[in-house]
Amino acid sequence: MRTYAPALAFFAAAGLVPLAVTDAFLLDSLVLILIWGTAAGAWNIAGGYAGQISLGHSAFFGLGAYAAALCGVRWNISPWFGLAIGAGLATAAGTIIGFLSNRLRGPYFVIATIAVSQVLLIAASRWRGFTAGSEGIPVPFRPGFWTLGIADKRVWVWIVLVLALVVYLSQLYLERSRRGFQLAAVREDEDAALSLGVPARRLKVAAIAASAAFTAMCGALWAQYVGFVDPLYVFSVDLSVRFSLAAILGGLGSALGPFLGAVLVTTVETWLRAEFGGLGSHLVGLYLILYGSALILMVRYAPQGLMGWFYRR
Amino acid sequence: MSAAPQLAVEGLDVAYGDFQVLWQAALHVDTGEIVAVLGPNGAGKSTLVNTISGLLRPRSGSVAFEGQRIEHMPAHRRAGAGIAHVLERRRLFPFLTVHDNVLLGAHNARARPHREETLARLEELLPLLKARRAQLAHTLSGGEQQMVAIARGLMAQPKLLMIDEPFLGLAPRMVQEIGALVRRIRDEHAISVLFIEQNVELALRLADRGVVLESGRTVLAGASAQLLRSAEVKRIFLGDFAL
Amino acid sequence: MTLLRVSGVTKRFGGITANRGITFDVAAGELVGIIGPNGAGKSTLFECISGFYAPDEGEVELEGTRLTGLSPDRVCRRGVARTFQKLRPFQGMTVAENVMVGALTRTRELGHAREQAHEWLRRVGLLEKAGAYARTLSTGQRKRLELARALATGPRVLLLDEVTGGVDQRSIPGLVELVRELHAGGLTLLVIEHNMRVVTAVAQRIIALHLGEVIADGAPAAVTRSPKVVEAYLGQAYVT
Repeated sequence: MRTYAPALAFFAAAGLVPLAVTDAFLLDSLVLILIWGTAAGAWNIAGGYAGQISLGHSAFFGLGAYAAALCGVRWNISPWFGLAIGAGLATAAGTIIGFLSNRLRGPYFVIATIAVSQVLLIAASRWRGFTAGSEGIPVPFRPGFWTLGIADKRVWVWIVLVLALVVYLSQLYLERSRRGFQLAAVREDEDAALSLGVPARRLKVAAIAASAAFTAMCGALWAQYVGFVDPLYVFSVDLSVRFSLAAILGGLGSALGPFLGAVLVTTVETWLRAEFGGLGSHLVGLYLILYGSALILMVRYAPQGLMGWFYRR
Repeated sequence: MSAAPQLAVEGLDVAYGDFQVLWQAALHVDTGEIVAVLGPNGAGKSTLVNTISGLLRPRSGSVAFEGQRIEHMPAHRRAGAGIAHVLERRRLFPFLTVHDNVLLGAHNARARPHREETLARLEELLPLLKARRAQLAHTLSGGEQQMVAIARGLMAQPKLLMIDEPFLGLAPRMVQEIGALVRRIRDEHAISVLFIEQNVELALRLADRGVVLESGRTVLAGASAQLLRSAEVKRIFLGDFAL
Repeated sequence: MTLLRVSGVTKRFGGITANRGITFDVAAGELVGIIGPNGAGKSTLFECISGFYAPDEGEVELEGTRLTGLSPDRVCRRGVARTFQKLRPFQGMTVAENVMVGALTRTRELGHAREQAHEWLRRVGLLEKAGAYARTLSTGQRKRLELARALATGPRVLLLDEVTGGVDQRSIPGLVELVRELHAGGLTLLVIEHNMRVVTAVAQRIIALHLGEVIADGAPAAVTRSPKVVEAYLGQAYVT
């Protein structure tokens, strides 16, 4: 498990593709794969490494997206600040949710996380005066690096790649460090870990807060890339599910897994839209059925996800 | 009177995974006897009774009831064969009424057709059942729950009733009542009783015979009168210094 | 010199008083056995000392430092470690990694923690299993693992909860010998045991609990012959 060849290959490929490819569709897919992979990796910090399964991470994604959008629209501030503000807000929200994780275990915690994201969804769609309500916010495109107004998709790939690498390396840190070791113990058996002097509560909160911050950064970048923030999408449960799904399919608790999972999930989604797009709203839930089936198959036949299947543990 | 025992357990080895709990455990109950299973905590008393009733399967050894080997019979069929098991801490269905809890005891095929009759007879034995018919089980006191649990066991029309710690957590007055109930069950209904109890003296004053387990082995057995005041019992529970 | 002081510890759960006014001192280097029939409050006492429960009344002190109400991880870092009655190894980790979790409470370096882990495994006789997964161990071996893991946190006082529980007869003398060695090395131990032979063999002093209260505290011979203790375990009839 200690070979980094696959990760090296993945990130090198991601970095080199823009030099060789000019097709807009492929580049667009790559940007999205990297964003979803990074978000899944961020989720993995809380879900895979700290064992805190959350289905409310869209709360953080949305916070980041809105922070970036509002900074640009309302106050004319660079969306890079928006990214930082979003990360700050998400850290605060994550800390609160972290405290919740010490009061609620298992399914109750999951439900609480869903509730938080939905509360934010409602707030964002109703608070017309601040967030332009349920119509969403179109993100202004002002050309320039400082305003993150970048038309060239290749540059986008590299920008997101930087964040992806940061999240990947953060996960690696969790595998190799003292705190990460202790976190693994907390994940296995919190009471036993406590009895051995592991500050379980603090570690869980820290993991969730970090996870939240990174997720918000993904949201901010995504908002600038896509150009439109729709509260019903950025705070949706669907999005939360996607983060966890990509991480689980890729291999919970492995650093590269979330990225591989994102490749799978994004590819399938794109294919679905292409194949069934014409059928309109009739098959809107189809991808959920596929996700569910994929999860069932995976849990049954390859519980370690794609990464586990590669290494045949 | 010298007929084969009603229940004969021999050479029982029982394990949870690779965690062996009983080594060659043995006991027997003659028809109409009250037998107490004793021993320090962790000795394997509950494991032994759970194996007899079918909640656990032994690695080796035999459990014979009325001559028939039952150690591989599924638990629910042993109830039909005549063995009823009242679990530790009662385990009533908390949100069902006393009436429903008790009726569920007659689930097996042999007892079901006579449910109502059996219930009527039990209500004579235990007026509490009638008085609290509609009350939700979790609202009863410990002693009342114990009575209902025993009644539920009796609904199966058993020939052998096994009770795991009937006196656990009960006030002295309740202990007396349950003790008297157990005696009536044996005297008036000819049902044998096997029960587990922590308090040795209490158990031996109720039972005809006692079996003592220590660390998963049957180390002592005999008539209650013998075991009461026995130095060996003292040693088993309190170690060599106690003598 | 008093190392651990328990004064007036009382713990209630709803209508039940699991511990009532429990008071005793433990001197440095003592090995104290805690006995009592089922439901006497022994495990609750350990939970109160180790921080998993906060007592409703009373105090727990380690060399004058207040432990009462601290979270379990802080109690451990102050110097009181414990094992559990129901074994809880970290299943996804190897034996050595399990012990490393304990060692990491004392050292920041993973490498150093690994060395210490191996050292503790050697002390408890599990070194050759260092790379194995916890689930492949026998019960006796798992007990040793729990011990090594707790010892790696470098405690001043170790609370052992039923270390011989569920262990087959042949393995018990080895475990008892290990406990003796640890004690001889200067460790202060509180040991809950149901096996009277074990406890009377290792303990210099026994505290007996019954229905939440201390009913005897002294040398093993005196305690096991005390009328209150005999009555608690067996009944009046056995009191000579």
